[in-house]
Amino acid sequence: MLGYAALAFLAGVLVILSRQVNGRLSLSTSAMHSSLWNHLVGMIALSVVALFLGGLFPQDPAAIPYWAWAGGTVGVIFIAASSWLVVQIGAAQTALLIIAGQMVFGVALDLWLGAPGNPLARIAGVALILAGMWFSRQGRR
Amino acid sequence: MDSRALHILAAFGTGGLLSLMVLFNGTLAAYGSLLFASWVPHATGTIAALVFLAILRPKKASGTAPPLWAYLGGLSGALTVMLTSATVNSALALSGTIAIGLAGQVVFSLIVDLRGMFGMPKRMPARTDWIALALIIAGSLILILFGRG
Repeated sequence: MLGYAALAFLAGVLVILSRQVNGRLSLSTSAMHSSLWNHLVGMIALSVVALFLGGLFPQDPAAIPYWAWAGGTVGVIFIAASSWLVVQIGAAQTALLIIAGQMVFGVALDLWLGAPGNPLARIAGVALILAGMWFSRQGRR
Repeated sequence: MDSRALHILAAFGTGGLLSLMVLFNGTLAAYGSLLFASWVPHATGTIAALVFLAILRPKKASGTAPPLWAYLGGLSGALTVMLTSATVNSALALSGTIAIGLAGQVVFSLIVDLRGMFGMPKRMPARTDWIALALIIAGSLILILFGRG
């Protein structure tokens, strides 16, 4: 259990590591070039893993809803934007505000899709996050 | 709008993109393996990035070439998928994996800023930044642990 917790923590560390490294590349190239390299290198690495593990493709890819294939295109914009952001506002504030956006838009998506949830927790969580963003706005730099 | 407000809104919107990616790639994972659900967005993303570059033709920064390690951000991203696939299926489950992952992000991003790592300038959080951190993490934990309840 503790071992898995350490792995989950490490996964969070790697998210930041990846973002900083991409941000560094964008400094010498551009945010979109950085996003291209991130996806290309990631694809090569995952292809190597797939060669060893096998079973990359599902039985019936045609059954997958067409919109689910759009994740990569959204991801390109995501990586380009976050490479630009870490250079502008630093690692901590980028991470915090991306988390804020993911959480609030996640609740909005859940409501839209009709996913069950606890309304009180949703209201409290979103309110705290928005309050945090207001404080984020106040700081001087 | 000043640049600070613009950056805050842009980062918030970027987080919104992440919630869409979770939905799209999570749907892929429902039909195939987690490896498939990560390989597909990397492959389609590579093509999409080439198309965006061809259309937008962003200006490349002039000056010195980037260090070689700067090209390897994608390795770290691919490794994250592997780690997460291990922990999601453990006793931590999805909510525990996300919650502890947030802690890893916050702690390491603060270290990176305070020490000015990876060729970035040093940054010292202001007092309001610490309040913002506490509020956003508290709100996120409530949503992760109780929001789906």
